[in-house]
Amino acid sequence: MKIMSDNSELTFSNFGIYDLVDQLELILPNTLIKFHRISENAFSYYRKNSEGNVVEKIIPVKSQDVKIELAPIRPLNYPARRTNHILLQFDKEIYLSENSAASIFVNCPIEIGIFLIHNSKHDSLDWITCDPLNSRFGLYGSPDTGTLCKYAKVTMATDYDDSNPYIEGVIQIVVENTLSFGHTISKVVFPITDNTLYYQNSKTIIDGLKITMKKRAAVNIADVQTTSLDTDWIASPTWEDKTTSAHMEMGLE
Amino acid sequence: MILEFLQTLSEMQIVGELTVLSLLIGGVIMAGGVIIAKIAKLLFHKYYAPSLPKDTAQNISKLIYFGILIISFLGFTSSQGIDLSGIMVAGGIFAVVIGFATQSVVSNLISGLFLIVEKPAKHGDTIELPDMGISGTLLDIGTFSSKVRRFDGTVTRIPNEKFFTSNIRSLTLSTVRRADVTVGISYESEIDHAILVMKNEILETMPFVLQVPEPEFRTEELGDSSVNIHVYVWHPRDDWSNAQPILLNTLKRALDKSGIEIPFPQRVIWTGKD
Repeated sequence: MKIMSDNSELTFSNFGIYDLVDQLELILPNTLIKFHRISENAFSYYRKNSEGNVVEKIIPVKSQDVKIELAPIRPLNYPARRTNHILLQFDKEIYLSENSAASIFVNCPIEIGIFLIHNSKHDSLDWITCDPLNSRFGLYGSPDTGTLCKYAKVTMATDYDDSNPYIEGVIQIVVENTLSFGHTISKVVFPITDNTLYYQNSKTIIDGLKITMKKRAAVNIADVQTTSLDTDWIASPTWEDKTTSAHMEMGLE
Repeated sequence: MILEFLQTLSEMQIVGELTVLSLLIGGVIMAGGVIIAKIAKLLFHKYYAPSLPKDTAQNISKLIYFGILIISFLGFTSSQGIDLSGIMVAGGIFAVVIGFATQSVVSNLISGLFLIVEKPAKHGDTIELPDMGISGTLLDIGTFSSKVRRFDGTVTRIPNEKFFTSNIRSLTLSTVRRADVTVGISYESEIDHAILVMKNEILETMPFVLQVPEPEFRTEELGDSSVNIHVYVWHPRDDWSNAQPILLNTLKRALDKSGIEIPFPQRVIWTGKD
């Protein structure tokens, strides 16, 4: 089986639900996924990525009505699940003068989940990242008390349609500065397990963030909270263990 | 019939006022105490222990078990009409004698209590005791000794006194850890270029190495045969095996790919003619 060397010539599979009848082939950037019926009640699963890593599974099924959902998931699983937090380092810093607010769109990395749907239940079958080279860890804070995060250097987007399919989704960040002086923001850290992802065709959008820079006692802090998105795009099934956390506070740097 | 039997037992004296009946009652109290202690311990393990840290759960479990046993024993002694105050006086002198004889045992017991209170490490932590050359996973801090499972799978029992007075290096207390190696390049090689290729190779091929803080390179020494560069990388605390053991391989691969020489030890000899 030959893995594509030039992605630009290929038509990639959209996110969505696919019927699994006899065989199914899904093509993603640098990744090929194949399902094949091996008996009346079992399918084989084959996945190969650009690094040549192959994953093969046998999927026994009870009913004939089996579907596969390809959907974006939170970027927390590659190279291993170690944290719920993500650190987005902006490529350009944002300066906010006193008592002002701004709304920006940012490209946030995603991973892709492959879900097996049977009897209306979603089971996670596998997950992949189409951009393994940029899926790395970073530390927010000091080594002894800091927070381990997934790290991504991100670019600004113009709107929700301006995303890099299969690799990044767009997240809206509203920043409000209630301090009595101007401040520059270069990064944001938050638990992404609170954010739902939505997809349409090959694009992804993510629940937004509201950052309020404020003074608490003698300390200036950035209060980061998730804001739910009102959209007609399809909500992605969540796969990771969801750890509830109301909000995240960052020190101002 | 039963009453007559009990009456007979109460009249059968063993020593002084101690009768077979009172001994039987005492036995029932002790047996009841043991059963209640075991049930209480079981219920605690089933319903409450899972929500507590393992070492705390173990300590509370022991407290419940032995607390009930001690209460049962006190019930037993009072049912036998034994006056404990006399024993206390005699016990004081006896305790001094026993204390000298069992100094290390008591020392271990007290150290165990201090370890439980201070908690320099908890159950499941990866620790290193440099003084004893022991490193591994802490399995248990017991009454007299602690157990560490070494990385080769064997379990070492350490008396609590030694454990308490040792330097304990915790490998899992911090969020991240640092791995480091030294690599030498030839004097003909450009240091900045070598650092750049090593850094790129690390960031591309070692997914567990943190990008923030990024890998650090310090020119450590102008050595006899090479310029020695010390490389520091940070990684998540549980991923030591994905960083330290493969770091040197990664650096060598990067230098080989770029044609940068890693020199052997060499000596230039000038003869008289030259």
